[in-house]
Amino acid sequence: MDKNDQAAIGAVLAGDKDAYGALVVGHSARLFRVAFRITGNEADAEDVVQEAFLRGYRKLESFESRSDFGTWIYRIAVRCALNKISGQRMDENSRVGEESNRQQHEVQLADWAAGPERLVLSGEIGAMQEMAMSSLTPTERTAFVLRHIEDCTSEEIASALGIEPNAAKQAVFRAVQKLRRRLAILRVKI
Amino acid sequence: MNHLSEEELIAHAYAEDDSNAVQQHLLACAECAKAYSALGSDLADIKFAEAPPRDSAYGHRVWESLAGSLPALSYAAAGIALVVCAFLGGRLWEHRHAQTIAQNHVQQHEPTVQQPPQRIVVVVLSDHLDRSERLLVELKHAEGGSVAFPLRDEARSLLEANQICRKNAKQDDDRALSTALDRLDRLLVELANQPDGLNSQTISRLQDEMNVDGLLFEVRVLRSRQAASSTHPKGDTI
Repeated sequence: MDKNDQAAIGAVLAGDKDAYGALVVGHSARLFRVAFRITGNEADAEDVVQEAFLRGYRKLESFESRSDFGTWIYRIAVRCALNKISGQRMDENSRVGEESNRQQHEVQLADWAAGPERLVLSGEIGAMQEMAMSSLTPTERTAFVLRHIEDCTSEEIASALGIEPNAAKQAVFRAVQKLRRRLAILRVKI
Repeated sequence: MNHLSEEELIAHAYAEDDSNAVQQHLLACAECAKAYSALGSDLADIKFAEAPPRDSAYGHRVWESLAGSLPALSYAAAGIALVVCAFLGGRLWEHRHAQTIAQNHVQQHEPTVQQPPQRIVVVVLSDHLDRSERLLVELKHAEGGSVAFPLRDEARSLLEANQICRKNAKQDDDRALSTALDRLDRLLVELANQPDGLNSQTISRLQDEMNVDGLLFEVRVLRSRQAASSTHPKGDTI
């Protein structure tokens, strides 16, 4: 583990709660990135970061010093993000096609932009992707993000989600299957 | 020749398999190679929005917003210990005072001025069970239409608290509570994930599949148990 992290944890456990600030400052950005990828929403991601650090603080006494704090708090953030989308999973399907969503995905794929036709197409692709993603359960979405974007192994995903490695593998598998089925429509349209 | 399954191809694409057998098969089988290529193309097409960049002061802002709300760590640890004690106390109290549960249930609603800290923790679970009971009663008597959104919103609101209670119940090996909260969790997830309003068919299905009547009974029993433990300090200090 990072020596600075280790020293900060020791200080917090000794009663200096301000020392926790160093850990928050050092790990916030990474937590925000993964939280955003899972929740897909900036405000939610910021909430997740705060909640993760708060939970981390409360559980700090159970943290094993031989572990890596960054990995530990990352897992907590993933759980918080999963809880967030589990509680919020709403009528995403009905949102696909709304103008606001299209604009969001044009920004998402802005690096593709080469002209008006391309922008329209990229917005459509983004909307289709979002629709495909909305067909996933929160666990499948989280597992897929961790596998596809974060390059986590099944064991790491399992550890982060508190499930068995085989269940993590199956969640990724189901996610890919569902996404492929949904995105097949996109290929036909293009 | 047995072709590779989609699962095997996905595992191979994510480097999850550690044998050369899949690679060898892909070299020998044009059909599977084509399927693998299509899979790779599909996966490459799936792109996520980049996370909005955070400036270097972001971590400091997070800390500023957190710093004031952090309890002293010893209090946090004491809180965890109190939750465990509260659950243990509740379970033992149920065995010792089963006949007084109904009476204690009434007493729970009396003012709690100057209660010891243990009771405050117990009330959190009691409050969760109380809200859950109200939701179950509403669902039990629901017929569709206007009740849809309040039920869904309340289910979403209860989900996180339920997860915390479930975790504590499991840690405490409180099987009765844990089992009931597991069942409640499945119902809450179902309700929370309803995309539109609950129609009478959905309500009827949930009432049957989730055995709402049975769950409601369990929640009421657990509430009574919590009431007993929260009104008898002895139960919390075992």
